[in-house]
Amino acid sequence: MSFTGAVKAFGAVRAVDGVDLRIGRGETVALLGRNGAGKSTAISLLLGLYAPDAGTVELFGGEPERAVRAGLVGAMLQEARAVPRVTVRELVRFVAGRYPDPLPLQRVLELAGITELAARRVDRLSGGQQQRVRFAVALAGNPSLLVLDEPTAALDVEARRAFWESMRAYARAGRTVLFSTHYLEEADAYADRILVLDRGRIVADGTGEQLRQAAGGSLVAFDLAGRGREGLQLLPGVRAVEVRGDRARLRTDDSDATVVALAGMGAIRNLEVAPASLDDAFLALTADGTERPDSTERPEGTGRPDGTDGSGGARGTDETDEMETV
Amino acid sequence: MSGVFDYLRLEVRRTLRDVGFVIGGIAMPVMMYLLFTNLGENDPTWRTASMVGMAAYGAVGSALNTGGGVAEDRTVGWLRQLRVTPMTPRQVVAGRALTGSVTVLPAICAVLLAGGLVNGVRLQAWQWAVTALLLWLGSLPFTLLGLGNGYGLTAQTTGVVNMVCNLGLAVLGGLWFPVSLFPHWLRAVSAYTPTHRFADLGLAVTEGHAPAAGAVLVLTAWLLAFGSYAVLSYRRNAGAV
Repeated sequence: MSFTGAVKAFGAVRAVDGVDLRIGRGETVALLGRNGAGKSTAISLLLGLYAPDAGTVELFGGEPERAVRAGLVGAMLQEARAVPRVTVRELVRFVAGRYPDPLPLQRVLELAGITELAARRVDRLSGGQQQRVRFAVALAGNPSLLVLDEPTAALDVEARRAFWESMRAYARAGRTVLFSTHYLEEADAYADRILVLDRGRIVADGTGEQLRQAAGGSLVAFDLAGRGREGLQLLPGVRAVEVRGDRARLRTDDSDATVVALAGMGAIRNLEVAPASLDDAFLALTADGTERPDSTERPEGTGRPDGTDGSGGARGTDETDEMETV
Repeated sequence: MSGVFDYLRLEVRRTLRDVGFVIGGIAMPVMMYLLFTNLGENDPTWRTASMVGMAAYGAVGSALNTGGGVAEDRTVGWLRQLRVTPMTPRQVVAGRALTGSVTVLPAICAVLLAGGLVNGVRLQAWQWAVTALLLWLGSLPFTLLGLGNGYGLTAQTTGVVNMVCNLGLAVLGGLWFPVSLFPHWLRAVSAYTPTHRFADLGLAVTEGHAPAAGAVLVLTAWLLAFGSYAVLSYRRNAGAV
């Protein structure tokens, strides 16, 4: 699967703004971004529901529509509501029947955890149950590529865990899975690779660990005790400075060097050193300056919008090229 | 091909589970027929003519309902979901049009049965068969009109537009009251409505002769017009389903 300079605009809004990426067979990839980052549009391009305004999108080496017609793709779309007046069994069986090599009905119902709902009407189920039915519809055809647009949005904690277990069981058999989410923990826990999408661009591409490192390995926080923020940006290792009230938070690649320098300045009141969380990484990667007016961001080497290689970032391009592309 | 057939079966099931369809599309025409022919004047000619008119009215309502289903499916995202299965858009549209032509049958049969069993309408066996057949075939333009609405308009607008089309064309075409009660100018308009000509097909058979060339001609013109409308609506919105 590949995007090459793909652009899709709605009026003046460039929902997908020049995305380059390749996904290999068997990968489980999370598409992470806040609401409105362009996740659903990217997925619609991938599925051939939209044609790109510029650039190309390929699926299994051809046009997305061809791969879809060949039954290689199953998808769980985000804005879908329940199909009225149809039972779970009828719906899943109908969709499975469209594919050349579907999974057995019982297996699909089991994977989606809806065996006991088979005879019920889809439009009379709860939101979470309906979401599991949509998962079943995506799985039914036993597709090589499973695309899930925010699959766990309406699920409670337990259902969410069961869902991811099923997804993993499905992915284990060598299938490719692409899911979008705005839950960082989900992306970190269940994907081999995370693509961070922000304002229509890929701003980072790598494992959760790589993303954390790319955003700055640690956070060093201390009380300013009335002093200004001047010079903090120039301390060794510091990548970004954020001031909230009287407290400064420094994102640093080398916390030891930063702490030694702070000690030299006598700025060690309530000093704290903590590893950067994925939340921090995500905020650093997608910060738009308006939410945190005090921050000074310098996330280098993370494939920022001005960089031309959207596929670069934390992940080496060489590695991707060796993989068999879906 | 099994795609179209399975889709047809699924959609017919869904339609028959629609309480609104069963009441509005089947029960209503039967009730109205029995009411209109058993209150006041009661001559056998009216019982037969009203039977054909109400069967036609039921068929038009059921045919338009197919478009309502399309609009609903667009709204809930079911058509979008179908687009990410191996089914082609052509198969989906064909399945929908066929659904329309199957779901008009209950209304036609129910009203004809009420005529024969309750109101004592007596026709030759071939007349019953040909009347039903012509009403069935003649409902195609209305299915296309419904599909045009369903693909072109939102679910809510489709519901309203379908109802206006259904009632307006029924009254204007003389499906409820004979056109002989209409003022002269209205009768002239009525002759060009698809509904009037649709009922003409069946009425001619109950009177023992073939439908007039004029009826077939006017209905064919409407078939082409509604067919073009459906194609345009579909093309304009195909990307947005």
